[in-house]
Amino acid sequence: MTIHLTVQKEVLSLLVVAVFIIAMCFLINRRLKAFDPLSKPRGLVLAALWLVEMIDDQVRTIVQERFVKSLAPYIGTLCIFLFLSNILGLFGFNPPTMNYSVTLTMAAITWVMIQFNAIRDNGIGSYIHGFFEPIFPFVIPNIFGKIAPLISMSIRLFGNILSGSIIMSVIYSGCSFLSDLVLGLFGGSGFNFVGVVVAPFFHAYFDLFAGFIQMFIFISLTMVFISNELKEDE
Amino acid sequence: MDVGTGLIAIGAGLSVFTGFSTGIGQGYAAAKAVEAVGKNPEAASQIRTMLIVGCAVAETCAIYGMLIAFIIVFVLGA
Repeated sequence: MTIHLTVQKEVLSLLVVAVFIIAMCFLINRRLKAFDPLSKPRGLVLAALWLVEMIDDQVRTIVQERFVKSLAPYIGTLCIFLFLSNILGLFGFNPPTMNYSVTLTMAAITWVMIQFNAIRDNGIGSYIHGFFEPIFPFVIPNIFGKIAPLISMSIRLFGNILSGSIIMSVIYSGCSFLSDLVLGLFGGSGFNFVGVVVAPFFHAYFDLFAGFIQMFIFISLTMVFISNELKEDE
Repeated sequence: MDVGTGLIAIGAGLSVFTGFSTGIGQGYAAAKAVEAVGKNPEAASQIRTMLIVGCAVAETCAIYGMLIAFIIVFVLGA
């Protein structure tokens, strides 16, 4: 009996992201302990404070005030993890979000949070009664409406990052073909020099810009869906 | 190249047609955003946020089409 075990390349990328985040946490913790609160922040402490303040402002504009304190750390975690995962294509790895399992997991965590907050704030009777509104045969569209955020958020992130990575690999193979063509005139194949010139622009769009936008969309939709389920502030 | 492979290629090409409506819709949204900034310049950063979020949600049409095209090419064409 043989056991076939395939370890995909994205597992290595996940390990790289996790080790990087843990190392940064230790480093920032050490800097923060040596930081005097009354002096002006500089360097890494300034970057960390700026990030926390930006995320707090973003959450405060969308979610109700009483929920900001418990939701903002989750949004901050999503923001850092998703941004680092999306731009990992820049360093030659397969980005972890290129695997549907990773994006499905993140979307599933958000989906469970949405349903749990809906039940906790409005009661389970009102939650089940909401399926049968406005008239009884609306059960099936309402069920699909509940599942739709899960599928759409996971496939949006997965599709964008996967397609960016496939287009980059097509560009690189086209550039290496061109390089072989040009260098073949001088005899012999060698270094892929066209790719070094052409590829950075595409990396800046597909990895940095699209990665940032997709992360921003994911956290915006998370906050909007959760705040729709909660009761309004008086 | 036999007829089967050619038909697979045609199928993959047809499924990218969903990007056509995405281009029109997002261009219209950008036009309305520019007009709104012209009417109310101090809400510019909020309008920018809503434009980006709205465009990315509307982009899912094109993304689904491209995903199906990739699946057709890489799974059926192998």
